[in-house]
Amino acid sequence: MGGLLLVLLVCVPGLVLLTARLAQKRRPASVPIPASAALPDGVIRRAAGWRWAGLVGGLAVGGVAAASGALGRGFMLAAPVFALCILAGVVVGETSIRSPRGRTRIAALEIRRVRDYVPRHLAHAVIAATTLLLALLTMTTATGAADDLGRSGRVVLLQCSQALQQGAGPWPGSFYSLPLGVMEAAGLIAAAAALRFVIRRPRVGADPAVVAADEALRRRAAQTITSACGILVALPLAGSCVLTAVALLSLSCRPAWLTVAAWSILALVPATLALIGWCAAVLLVPTLGVSRVLPGT
Amino acid sequence: MTPPALIVDTDDPTPPYEQLRRQFAELIEAAVLQPGDRLPPVRQLAADLGLAVGTVARTYRELDSAGLISSRRGAGTRVTPTAPALSDAQRAQLVRTHARAFVQRAVRLGADQGEIVSAVVRAIELEPTASRTVAHQVL
Repeated sequence: MGGLLLVLLVCVPGLVLLTARLAQKRRPASVPIPASAALPDGVIRRAAGWRWAGLVGGLAVGGVAAASGALGRGFMLAAPVFALCILAGVVVGETSIRSPRGRTRIAALEIRRVRDYVPRHLAHAVIAATTLLLALLTMTTATGAADDLGRSGRVVLLQCSQALQQGAGPWPGSFYSLPLGVMEAAGLIAAAAALRFVIRRPRVGADPAVVAADEALRRRAAQTITSACGILVALPLAGSCVLTAVALLSLSCRPAWLTVAAWSILALVPATLALIGWCAAVLLVPTLGVSRVLPGT
Repeated sequence: MTPPALIVDTDDPTPPYEQLRRQFAELIEAAVLQPGDRLPPVRQLAADLGLAVGTVARTYRELDSAGLISSRRGAGTRVTPTAPALSDAQRAQLVRTHARAFVQRAVRLGADQGEIVSAVVRAIELEPTASRTVAHQVL
């Protein structure tokens, strides 16, 4: 157990940095925006400021959540809290963009769809991670049992023989999975609502250069929301995979198929960490066109 | 291709819903919006134009009543297959009618030919959906 944790402690930052580097290199060409684009004062700065405030606030609140809560429950809720703070930052930043108020109002005859703004590959990875998390938590919830203090869904029990039963924990059963499931559902619903809000908000202006900047701003917000969803799902998935695998491998009377299952689940951890790194890169590396117009976004 | 623009002038005595209705009807008649094409969601268009949702919803209701569009939950609002579209000849005739009406008003205002032509060129340049090359070819 200690060795595994040590390996994870060494691997996590390395994987995150490597993925961030790869994501930065492979990032598609940014939306070209002329530096002279007549953007309304402060729109991009406000949106970026709130996005960063959500990120920093999320780290702080997530850190507090991780430190609080008994038996690792607080640590488990850190990711959803972090993601919710980012979503709040994005939405508040976008609310600074108001509908036109002038005499003559112009709107393009266009349909803005969520799928046109969300990064496709990242979204697919997040959907896959969500499916895996749902499947894993369903399995662990169904097989969880009460621990020696009667807390249901905190250990897994294996019947070794007629007379002998072996238990292992902590196990991501209902003790962890139910509050986590509620927070995950809340986070995903909030993300869907935030995406809808970002796509439906009015355009900054009708000038083609402003429209290009507006598109980049909207795309950046959609990227941030998708990345927040990635962290929301991938961090608990990584933790659940480790807990599940470690608990299964500590059952000495386990059958061979359970060993295979445990190692298969553990094999998901690097992929999950890579997804976390990918999301962190998108959140932390502002290389989109909007940031080139106004540095520091 | 740049999508066509919808313009609402809040100082115009014509109510905004009617301004929008006319523009949509013209776009459908001119086959810029073809049968099956989707219209923007009511809330999105209302936000983009800074209008109340009810105003845009009324435009869509009027177009629906006229049989030009139909709304279905989940499928959005689309141009109906039976929406009347102008033939090329009818469209050309309509353009000539509008041009004649404009020229008559400009002449009443005392504009000469050069002034009228430069006003049209300027209007085409300001129109985001019109190609400048077309403007120079035509004029």
